Amino acid sequence: MAFTATVGNQQVSCGEDQSMLDAFLRAGVWMPNSCNQGTCGTCKLRVVDGDVDHGDSPADTLTAEEREAGLALACQARLRSDSVVETLGGAVGGGITHPLRDLTATVLSNDEIARDTRRLLLELPEPLAFHPGQYVELTVPGTQLRRQYSLANTADEDKVLELHVRSVSGGAATERWIFTSMAVGDQIPVTGPLGDFFLPAEDSDDGGPMVLIGGGTGLAPLIGLARTALSRDPGRRVLLYHGVRGVDDLYNLDQMAELTKVYPAFTFVPVLSHEAPAAESVHREGFPTDHFIEDVDSARGWSGWLCGPPPMVEAGVRAFKRRRMAPRMIHREKFTPATD
Amino acid sequence: MTTTSETTTPDRSWIADITMTELERNPYQAYERLRQEAPLAFVPVLGSYVASTADICREIATSPDFEAVITPAGGRTFGHPAIIGVNGDIHSDLRGMVEPQLQPVEVDRWVDDLVRPIARRYLEAFEADGHADIVTQFAEPVSVRSLGDLLGLQDVSSDKLRQWFGQLSRSFTNAAMTEDGEFVNPDGFVEGDVARAEIQAAVDPLIDKWIEEPAETAISHWLHDGMPPGKTRDRQYIYPTIYVYLLGAMQEPGHGIASTLVGLFSEPEQMEEVVDDPTLIPRAISEGMRWTSPIWSATARISKVPVTIAGVDLPANTPVILSYGSANHDTGVYDAPTRYDIKRPPLPHLAFGAGNHACAGIYYANHVMRIALEELFEAIPNLERNTSTDIEFWGWGFRGPTSLPVDWEV
Ligand SMILES: Cc1cc2nc3c(=O)[nH]c(=O)nc-3n(C[C@H](O)[C@H](O)[C@H](O)COP(=O)(O)OP(=O)(O)OC[C@H]3O[C@@H](n4cnc5c(N)ncnc54)[C@H](O)[C@@H]3O)c2cc1C
Ligand code: HEM
Ligand code: FES
Repeated sequence: MAFTATVGNQQVSCGEDQSMLDAFLRAGVWMPNSCNQGTCGTCKLRVVDGDVDHGDSPADTLTAEEREAGLALACQARLRSDSVVETLGGAVGGGITHPLRDLTATVLSNDEIARDTRRLLLELPEPLAFHPGQYVELTVPGTQLRRQYSLANTADEDKVLELHVRSVSGGAATERWIFTSMAVGDQIPVTGPLGDFFLPAEDSDDGGPMVLIGGGTGLAPLIGLARTALSRDPGRRVLLYHGVRGVDDLYNLDQMAELTKVYPAFTFVPVLSHEAPAAESVHREGFPTDHFIEDVDSARGWSGWLCGPPPMVEAGVRAFKRRRMAPRMIHREKFTPATD
Repeated sequence: MTTTSETTTPDRSWIADITMTELERNPYQAYERLRQEAPLAFVPVLGSYVASTADICREIATSPDFEAVITPAGGRTFGHPAIIGVNGDIHSDLRGMVEPQLQPVEVDRWVDDLVRPIARRYLEAFEADGHADIVTQFAEPVSVRSLGDLLGLQDVSSDKLRQWFGQLSRSFTNAAMTEDGEFVNPDGFVEGDVARAEIQAAVDPLIDKWIEEPAETAISHWLHDGMPPGKTRDRQYIYPTIYVYLLGAMQEPGHGIASTLVGLFSEPEQMEEVVDDPTLIPRAISEGMRWTSPIWSATARISKVPVTIAGVDLPANTPVILSYGSANHDTGVYDAPTRYDIKRPPLPHLAFGAGNHACAGIYYANHVMRIALEELFEAIPNLERNTSTDIEFWGWGFRGPTSLPVDWEV
């Protein structure tokens, strides 16, 4: 007889006479532990759903109140039913989780805004709650293929979603759909919101300086994040780098100029990797992460936001750490290609 | 072709050639051979049987046929009754005395407020320098200051606490014995005696005060808790256990922090992962404890009755030293045990011992190490090992890196 324990997205089968800890460790699933004899409490976890037998758990390590509260010692407890457990390491994300929903949106516009780049405006039948910086999934018509696109919106722009899409050669969603057959008025399924790329809740946002680096359409979520952060704290230092190949890839320049005007501590830095900037232009040459290293001596106390192609995101993490930004303040969204 | 070598007992004379210096420099080679050829063996230089595999260590540590005994050098250093060497009612009383402050619910209440500011303070002192020795400037000071404040030794400097654990530690592991059961190097205990005298001179006045006015310090609780009104535990009764703390509990979280870092530096990708995701720190520490166990070989058990363990007949009253640091390199349990690897199957290890004398401070120690590493990586995420020198580990009884120079861009 065996029961199943679920922790996060992992499931482990636990024998009737097997401690949960033992089952997890044998299955190669990490769970904090030290003494394995019920005396240190390192393996304490929360049983969210299901029945456990606490076995020989000592009252000193696992008090009656803790049992009441659903805690158990993984090294002592045996499952008596299929159960859901969570470790006490602190919930990921924190704050409000917006429920994931399936909606049918109407394409309001689908315009070319830069080289190989479209802006999609999708009207929803009802508002969608999300955190700025999160993304939605579109399903390519006539297929099961799902593709993620980040929201450029702030939270109050909850009826018309704005997506920035860059064409990928041979791409099922981009070249073969969004850039060719998708028309204004089309009804398309949208699933969201998803992802953990968002600001801390307003009451735990310390208003500290921020650097955001986007590669190509990686700019999209940064626009929602930067505008939200600035409206929370208009004086806060916000440094936004947009890395692209050439001038023709830049977009939303009016919006950037407007933000620069309204918020004196906001700086927009366009960086061209494959083109020498024209004389006297504000464009820089090279990679945004290198410019960040030159521009900022110390990023202690800053938060960092990286979005776009995985290699750019990884270079950004290294650059931020080199300037001693605390790793927990580094947020990343990688535009990883789909595997199907 | 000869068959004689297969029938004669294997040649174990090499065991008699093992020296203390060799064990202190690097015990792993000798113990690897012990695990293979004689996992429960009498080692003459230690004047004792030694258990070196995971199974045998665990069996002896949890067997009803054995009870605790302090090693001769340990007993010479700490005196009686040290918690690690007593049994029955005295052990129950001493466990009952130390455990309340170390219970998880209790530790959770204050550990962050205690340790985090201390870690930050030591980091602030050098974070602008671009280089540091992690052992002496961070790992050891954070470890001793946290426990020092918990015990009520706020007025004893961190440097003094570090000096004491060093003196006690060398004295405790001055283990070499002659064939006649005498200490080879009696002078080796002098520095332990010096430390003990200094400790008493510093702690006696505090005890005098706490007897009159109980305070929220661990030692004050040790004096009063569970005693009839108006009575306190005798100070001579608790001093040996104070020494246990001032050695192991002071030194080992520092060893653990430093060893974990050395392990991580040996696997740069894992280092990067752990720096980027602080929730991996407990896993990194757990592997650090396995890889270089801070209490490598310092506690022992003694048979109460004649027993046979792993085919070896032991008469009653035979002491056996438990080599947990060796057990944690047992190839019967771990593949490639000499490699630090946070990805290995996370099987239980024996770095905190087993049985009713297992470490009482596991939960607290793990939190001290975790908070220290969290703060270190938060302040200096661009930490790099200074590779101009090799890292040296030292110790047989207690083991860790002697220094760990690091650099970073400022
Ligand atoms: C969390 C998340 C958020 C995203 N947000 C956005 C966004 O806001 N805007 C946006 O434009 N994209 C975004 N993407 C990428 C997007 O989801 C698609 O992967 C992308 O549009 C390509 O889809 P496709 O179906 O057109 O190409 P596919 O049919 O999936 O791919 C066609 C071929 O091109 C390769 N390929 C796919 N992408 C790339 C690439 N970037 N570079 C080189 N080769 C590639 C594939 O491996 C495949 O061989 C995001 C991805 C993730 C994971
Ligand atoms: C990483 C740090 C530490 C390690 C690796 C460690 C390891 C050990 C080991 C191996 C033992 C002997 C167990 C046995 O013989 O089976 C022990 C005993 C003990 N430890 Fe720890 N320890 C650490 C830190 C601490 C701390 C911080 C405290 C107290 C605050 C503490 C309190 C004790 C006590 C009281 C004992 C004696 C238990 C007894 O004999 O009943 N330890 N420790
Ligand atoms: S591992 Fe120590 S109580 Fe479970």
